[in-house]
Amino acid sequence: MQVDPSTANQLFGAALKATAPTEPADGQGFADALEQALSEMRATVESGERAAADAMAGDGDLQSVVEALTATEMALETATVVRDRVVEAYQEIMRMPV
Amino acid sequence: MFDLQSAMKSAASGMRAQTFRLRLVGENVANADTPGFQRKTVSFDNEFNRATGAAEVSPGRVTLSQKDPVQRYEPGHPLADERGIVTLSNINPLIEIADAREAQRSYQANLSIFDQARKMRSGLLNLLSK
Repeated sequence: MQVDPSTANQLFGAALKATAPTEPADGQGFADALEQALSEMRATVESGERAAADAMAGDGDLQSVVEALTATEMALETATVVRDRVVEAYQEIMRMPV
Repeated sequence: MFDLQSAMKSAASGMRAQTFRLRLVGENVANADTPGFQRKTVSFDNEFNRATGAAEVSPGRVTLSQKDPVQRYEPGHPLADERGIVTLSNINPLIEIADAREAQRSYQANLSIFDQARKMRSGLLNLLSK
């Protein structure tokens, strides 16, 4: 079979473009989304700590404490699960034989 | 996740409203024998929370009941007037006890909604963890 060098050049160029990292179309890639989620989680944990400190000093009402701690617990659970998944995906990719 | 959070916020506002109601019941019961005390009642308002888009409840104005106070014939009482009648408050303890029971039931209903939303969210996250 005859392969024309110019055709080969074109095909190589097309294949190269496919492996280049794609720019996120709407301006929010995965890294940005992760960063936003982490900053929200930090705000939640901070408010939970403040509520717990108020309760131990005798100031805060019990319901706010329970709400804040529940939100903290859920945010932490979400972050843990997402982190496990990301690390697992990374390890999976590193295991691929080159 | 947003709907679950809205459910939890609505349930939390319901719990707050019912605890406020119970507080008024407590005040009424404690002052049942206070002369001149009028029964306090509250009506709840629907409040739309713009941030989460959830419909929450908030306690409205506290109103004083205008019913006639209980009058007892007790000439020996220090507060009795010239006919021997003592004017107390207009609180009926049975109604207050029923109100307290109702507040407790509503509180428990809201609490179970809160717990249910939390469990549903945990169940959803468990799909991701192994």
